[in-house]
Amino acid sequence: MLTYTLLAGLLFGLYFSLVGLGLNLIFGVMRIVNLAHGDFVMLGAFLAFWLFNLFALNPIPSLVVAAALFLLAGLPLYYLVVPRLLRARDPEMLSFILFFGFSQVIEALAAIAFGTSERSIPGGALARAVAAGAAFLGVAYTPGPIALFGQSFPIAWAASGITGTLAVLLVWAYLYRTRIGALTRAVMVSREEAISTGIDVHRVSAIAFGVGLALAAVAGVLAPFMLGSITPAMGVDVTITSFAVIVIGSLGNPLGTVLGGLVYGVSYMFMQSYYSSWANLLPYLLLIAVLLLRPAGLLGRQVRRA
Amino acid sequence: MIRQTLLAALSSLALVAPAAAADAPAEIKLGTLYASAGRYASISMPVHDGLKLWLAQKNAEGGVFVKAFNKKIPLKLVAYDDQSNTGTAATLYNQLITQDKVDILVADSGSVLTSVAVPIARENKMLLIDQTGTGAAFFSPDNPYIALMADPVSTIWPKPLADFLTEDGPKLGIKKVAMIYSTNDFTGTQANTVRKLIKNSTSGVELVYDQGVPTETSNYTVLLNNIRAANPDAVVHLGYAPNDIAFLRNLADSGVRFKFLFCIYPGLETELLEKNVGAAGLNGVFTYVPSSEIAYRSEFGMNLEQFKAAWSKAYGDGKVEFGFNSVAGYTTGLVLEKALAQTESLDQLALRRAIFALSGRLKTIDGNFELDPQGAQIGEITPLGQFVAEGSGVRLVTVWPHDVATGKPIYPAP
Repeated sequence: MLTYTLLAGLLFGLYFSLVGLGLNLIFGVMRIVNLAHGDFVMLGAFLAFWLFNLFALNPIPSLVVAAALFLLAGLPLYYLVVPRLLRARDPEMLSFILFFGFSQVIEALAAIAFGTSERSIPGGALARAVAAGAAFLGVAYTPGPIALFGQSFPIAWAASGITGTLAVLLVWAYLYRTRIGALTRAVMVSREEAISTGIDVHRVSAIAFGVGLALAAVAGVLAPFMLGSITPAMGVDVTITSFAVIVIGSLGNPLGTVLGGLVYGVSYMFMQSYYSSWANLLPYLLLIAVLLLRPAGLLGRQVRRA
Repeated sequence: MIRQTLLAALSSLALVAPAAAADAPAEIKLGTLYASAGRYASISMPVHDGLKLWLAQKNAEGGVFVKAFNKKIPLKLVAYDDQSNTGTAATLYNQLITQDKVDILVADSGSVLTSVAVPIARENKMLLIDQTGTGAAFFSPDNPYIALMADPVSTIWPKPLADFLTEDGPKLGIKKVAMIYSTNDFTGTQANTVRKLIKNSTSGVELVYDQGVPTETSNYTVLLNNIRAANPDAVVHLGYAPNDIAFLRNLADSGVRFKFLFCIYPGLETELLEKNVGAAGLNGVFTYVPSSEIAYRSEFGMNLEQFKAAWSKAYGDGKVEFGFNSVAGYTTGLVLEKALAQTESLDQLALRRAIFALSGRLKTIDGNFELDPQGAQIGEITPLGQFVAEGSGVRLVTVWPHDVATGKPIYPAP
């Protein structure tokens, strides 16, 4: 039971690293809090749902479609909203209000468009996609649960863990192995200095914003398998958990999200196993504990500038 | 003397009758809440739509007959969206009473969103028309301001389940039962009842796993592994529809099989559950057999077939599924209609008397309407059923009590 709980926590945590990654990237680059993050996750989930139901498109290719669409949608959305926001006296605080409004609008429109009931994608769809991928790579896999260290897990957990890991590696590569990534890090250190050195901060930020939304969409595609079902109202809970994850790791440090996600996932699973009634208090308890004991987050070096 | 008395009586009647007609309100304000979003949307919207269906029918007929005014009066629905939030719901219930001054206060669906209405209604001396809030704690001898319309009180729900486990269970080989439940009034009360009935039985059946989880739980994979480790012969899961969806999906994805599995909502909201977990995910699952599955002989209002047809016509877009809760909302309307046709006035306690007078005398699409002295619904029953495969779908077979059973339980479940 202990091993299973620990492994489940790590896999669950990797998924929540993915969920929080986009939120932290956007905050790190633009110092704005996207309170509609969970709603973008929800939109990604419904995109996958409709792609599956209308075109029988499997969740694995849907990951690519959703990432591409949200990346492209993020660019004009950035130019529409963020530059104006950043001209405000307190953009960080104003972003709370603005994106809260966005969240409400997105949820309301989604409820009108999709209805309020729970929706899902059959678990077998993901298993079949993984089986096809495994066959392509020459790896033996029969659709169904997968064995990890002698423990049996739903394939969705493994797929989410792998996707989360890949997403983290891609974000790392983007930040540390590309020119645009170097420019992005420069903006993250100081937006003013980046402007003074001639960096096109809006272009850099727009791409980061698009990548942030793409990561949210990817997490959304996997949400029907990791969160039971999807509804237009799921965004708020996802945003709260994401916020806890990135504060635990380090606000503004996208890679700190990985640690935050893992701490959250493992703690949550242990709470579920041993104090199940209290499990949902965990994000808030961790948030309070981190803010009191290590305000910069577990990977933070100093208290961030407000 | 006799002539004078008769004249006086006639004069007063002549004065009273026109006064009553003149005093009749232009409309009867029926105030309610619904949740268009959030955790309880899938149980709230069907109830709300069922109530609206009744209301639209009555208004199309010129209103509802009110005995106190001896005429039909149109109904006006004042409805607010609480978004499944109890804090918002509390504010809106107060608003309905103090600002909108509704004549009839109808609670949102489910125990969680009803729980905040109970003290507010009582404090304001408004009769709470409780649609589906079944928590046993809502009903007490010192609170006359509540009546449960369309669901049996939670202490009654699991009795057939517990009786089956303790009476037929041992014969089938069920000795060890695992129970997992969401910690809210609706399922918490049911868990207490199951626990009590199993512990008090002399069947030798024992609870080997008994855990509460937050109602917001959306992933049960680790919990399923823990339940499996307890090696139970039967598993009882008590949760709301989203809990059941997550539980059944996680069960299918994890490859875990239980010989007996009970969930609440596969029977109550079959259409919704089938959309989410598929017919294969429901096959073999035990559940309650609600009024949306049993064609009760309705003596007032539409029967099940007529109601289904009316529902499909009104809500054919499929965004809100037909099920037990849609029947519940319609039943609320029927009880109100019958009570208004008998009430002496729109005074809250007069309305209460009219509703209580229907107890044991009203048979609707939802079965027998019967209240205990505290206002808890005790007339409806929730037999135990099991889904069995039929073609590419599933069919619900009643397996307990024996006198209403339409088939035998399959144990171990396929």
